[in-house]
Amino acid sequence: MILELDKVSVTFSAGPPWRRRQVPAMREVSLSLADGEILGLVGESGSGKTTTSMVALGLRRPTSGTALFQNQPFPKRRKQLAGRMQAVLQHPQWSLNPRMRVGQCVAEPLVVFGGVSKAEVAKRVMGILDQVGLDPSFADRYPHQLSGGQRQRVSIARALITRPPFIVFDEAVSALDVSVQAQILNLIKDLRAEYAFAALFISHDIGAVRYVADHVAVLRHGAVVETAPAAVFFGTPEHEYSRQLVEAL
Amino acid sequence: MTWWRKADWLTRSGLLCLVLLALGTLAGTVLGIGGDPDEMVGPRLAPPNGEYLLGTDELGRSMLPRLFEGIGTTLVLSALAVLVTAVLATLLGIAAGYRGGWLGEIVLRLVEVLHSFPVIVLAILVAAVLGPGQTATICSIILITIPLMTRVVRAAAVSVSERDYVTSAVISGARWPRILSRHLLPNLSGTIAVQGTYALSVGILVEGGLSFLGFGVQPPQSSLGALIQQGSIYLLAAPWLVIGPGIVLVLAILAINVFGDGLRDSLEPREARSLV
Repeated sequence: MILELDKVSVTFSAGPPWRRRQVPAMREVSLSLADGEILGLVGESGSGKTTTSMVALGLRRPTSGTALFQNQPFPKRRKQLAGRMQAVLQHPQWSLNPRMRVGQCVAEPLVVFGGVSKAEVAKRVMGILDQVGLDPSFADRYPHQLSGGQRQRVSIARALITRPPFIVFDEAVSALDVSVQAQILNLIKDLRAEYAFAALFISHDIGAVRYVADHVAVLRHGAVVETAPAAVFFGTPEHEYSRQLVEAL
Repeated sequence: MTWWRKADWLTRSGLLCLVLLALGTLAGTVLGIGGDPDEMVGPRLAPPNGEYLLGTDELGRSMLPRLFEGIGTTLVLSALAVLVTAVLATLLGIAAGYRGGWLGEIVLRLVEVLHSFPVIVLAILVAAVLGPGQTATICSIILITIPLMTRVVRAAAVSVSERDYVTSAVISGARWPRILSRHLLPNLSGTIAVQGTYALSVGILVEGGLSFLGFGVQPPQSSLGALIQQGSIYLLAAPWLVIGPGIVLVLAILAINVFGDGLRDSLEPREARSLV
């Protein structure tokens, strides 16, 4: 198993110190993700999708329950995870540092990972840009010279350059228009066939999830309502809420 | 220089004005144009004439070299103080904005306490503790500009820290030196530069105010504030004593502010301007 969440709960404290309220964002969420598998996580806004991704990336510690990555608890030092997990995040306009050229952005995870010569880094950047369908000349451009779809391709290139076994796509296509969405989803499928990464694909768009996911989990009010293989889920959803979602498709 | 071509005429004239002021003062001081600022050369309170271009003061000292010395003192004191402020405020602002938590709270509360003092009261307090003079002037400017700049840098640091590219870098395993140098500082540099120019104009004003009250630069050394203070006694009899330094003070502050506005427009990335 690449990722295992066992009865993970996360609560946020809100309000002033004298009247603290505990707001649950995840309630005993259990999920598991096998190597090379794509798990689609669907749910409406506020259902705990992003909190789940933060826990899966080790950016937030669960209030209770355990989270295991490659069968180990998350290490204290972030550096030990370098190169092993990546994320493609929501906002195309903020996903790339406007002060860095595309080439530097894409190279960053590799440079942080270390042990790779400059020439090798440049070669890998060119290679991965080609794979996500961008001309090598893009390496010298700045993010503001790119369209939304191109930026998301760059984000994907950056996520893949260390060939991580696990990637989180957090609403990676939601901000794009429909035709570009389809291109990016196809790109994710193609790259997955080649790189065999496992992924947590988070979206409120159940159509996109249907297109890429092997398994589907439905979140509602911070709890998992249903988990099932995609074929089963989209054929005969069990839970009332899942049925509504599938019917709305 | 691409920046120069992008700037509008107002920004250009602001920068030009500042550069001319600085260069003119430097040339005037180094070449000794108009003679020794401390020497009593002519008649007292002589109006501007061929020999003494800006007239003479109550002791018969030529005003032109005194004005050169005054601008120099004011600019150097303000610039030194603002340099210190820029470094401290950047560190504090990023610590409070990126790291947050209890450290951020402490920084914010301290800064708010400083900010709650009226500017001139704080400056007089500093002068009372340290004794009037250049050190007190510099320390006052630092204490007055730090809250303004720290708060803005912190707010910017909070917004930059929440952006996806910082999260991506953290996920990649990047540690804070890299995040600071590659992501935070480059994206905060515009804010810091703009706030720095505003702080410089505040610094010049504070120097003027403090010296005007007699707690800043001490005679015989001149500064813009000191010149205006000494001249104000003879305001009706010899208005040229105040008009020269007054015009320079207004010009300097106006030029710095106009330049700061232009700097902000050109330094902040296009995306930031359309969204924020």
